Amino acid sequence: MNLQPFYQQVEQDVLGAMRKPSLWYWIALVLSAGAFAFGLFAWGYQIFTGMGVAGISHPVGWGVYITNFVFWVGIAHSGTLISAVLFLFRARFRSAFNRIAEAMTVIAVMTAGLYPLIHLGRVWRFYYLLPYPNQRILWVNFRSPLIWDVFAVSTYLTISLIFFYVGMIPDLAAARRHFTGIRQWVYKVLSLGWEGTLNQWRHYNRLYIFLAAFATPLVVSVHSVVSWDFAMSIVPGWHSTIFAPYFVAGAIFSGTAMVITLTVPMRKILKIEKYITVDHYEKLSKVLLVTALIVSFSYIVEMALAAYSGNIFESTVFKYRMVGHYKFFFWLMMFCNVLLPLSLFVKKLRRNIKFLFVLSLFVNVGMWLERFNIIVTSLAKEYNPYSWGTYTPTLAEVGITIGSFGMFFTFFLIFTKMLPVLSISEIKEQGK
Amino acid sequence: MSSSEKTYEFHAKEDFLEKLEELVESGIDKKNLSTLTPFHVHEVEHILETKPSALRFFTLVGALSGFFLSFVFIIFTVLDWPLITGGKPLISIPAFIIVSFECTILFGGIVSMIGFLHLSRLPDIKKIVNPRECGNQFIIIQEQVGGDK
Repeated sequence: MNLQPFYQQVEQDVLGAMRKPSLWYWIALVLSAGAFAFGLFAWGYQIFTGMGVAGISHPVGWGVYITNFVFWVGIAHSGTLISAVLFLFRARFRSAFNRIAEAMTVIAVMTAGLYPLIHLGRVWRFYYLLPYPNQRILWVNFRSPLIWDVFAVSTYLTISLIFFYVGMIPDLAAARRHFTGIRQWVYKVLSLGWEGTLNQWRHYNRLYIFLAAFATPLVVSVHSVVSWDFAMSIVPGWHSTIFAPYFVAGAIFSGTAMVITLTVPMRKILKIEKYITVDHYEKLSKVLLVTALIVSFSYIVEMALAAYSGNIFESTVFKYRMVGHYKFFFWLMMFCNVLLPLSLFVKKLRRNIKFLFVLSLFVNVGMWLERFNIIVTSLAKEYNPYSWGTYTPTLAEVGITIGSFGMFFTFFLIFTKMLPVLSISEIKEQGK
Repeated sequence: MSSSEKTYEFHAKEDFLEKLEELVESGIDKKNLSTLTPFHVHEVEHILETKPSALRFFTLVGALSGFFLSFVFIIFTVLDWPLITGGKPLISIPAFIIVSFECTILFGGIVSMIGFLHLSRLPDIKKIVNPRECGNQFIIIQEQVGGDK
């Protein structure tokens, strides 16, 4: 069967999305870049004035910075789930989302990676985290989960970048045919002289499988390590063995929601509706539903463990979460993460893109609040009543948080105009 | 001995595979046949009975060296400046496995990437400057050794 017109169409549609931006694109870019600039300003203010401008202090030493760190690492995870895990499971619907999800992973890890540095205060001392004998030949402590984090997050960024780039090489080779001038040269160089010979495809295919096989345990390990930042300590509400699977499920849940949040407006602006269809969204919403159920189950287990533990500190923290200072956030989180996703049992709602978009926004909010609840409430009500206290984020912290969203969306918008947003070779391979 | 190329171009994958099978059946050495395709056509590997990609050796060596080198490195650092923290033994194997696990993947991924570039002869500067563009055609290239035909 001659599919040449189809191949041509795919190339034109996907590469056409990279041409002159529409007005909506510019509006989105200006808003995101504005938020990013605001965040940079707030960070600059914090660096020059000192950590006192942030609300974190005794007893709550970890606030929205660490919340943001966990949130963005979590967002990154569904990218790897869609690109690597669904690839190994041969789930064909992934080809509509995989490039977008991979880009999201890389950008989200970059955003997340900034937060420990922002939280550090004296950011120029960040190299103390690296295994390099800093002073008096003193090495880093490899028994500390914070050092595991350095390795986990930097490995994750490196492997995600390689995965993202390798997947794009054949598409960049297609792009160099459709552009002229400087852009053509950029694609020529980035595609490394790819031709699509048997030999190249053979090794390429192998590499893609190996990278997917590496990324799958990696994605589980990264969020497990992030969860051990908490679980390895003896803070009530943190010191729990279920944290690793609980965090991994939560990460995929929030990341899948972010894929929906990003792609619903994007497919309209870039006019690629016929490649990302309602069927694709329905499958994605099933992933959302499953992970929502795992997260809900984890909440129940966590509370049941606290109730049955007979440990007064543990049960106090959980009661505090429900009825204490932050109870509004706790119940809002429950509404967003447990109650609302149950609506996805209804097929009609799974196939309603507008509904899914609104739901995904709620899930994003809910998952951010989940991390906030875990981090802040546990520290606010630790063992000794003498050291209890509350925490409110300051303007600098709010500004930096807004800035991280600005950075994420700015980079993402630039990606949609610079690189092919769908995997052209994979869509061609699947045929009509 | 001079060599030249003979190419066959197809619009459809099916015609391309049919011709490839025909060429193989006609007794042409599989080593002299190569293809250019817009996406990976798995059937080509079966028809030409290509050997499994040698990339796996790169991956294995990369992953194993990542694991062992990081493990040795961590143990070296704790012995280089012995400092007991939290009453834990200097060589705390369970804690070290986590970093070694990450390094296994890191080295495995990077070495695989290098292996891929090496095996598929990329980046190729000549072809970056002047790539051979075949659009979306399926192409068979038959290398003919001088005098054969």
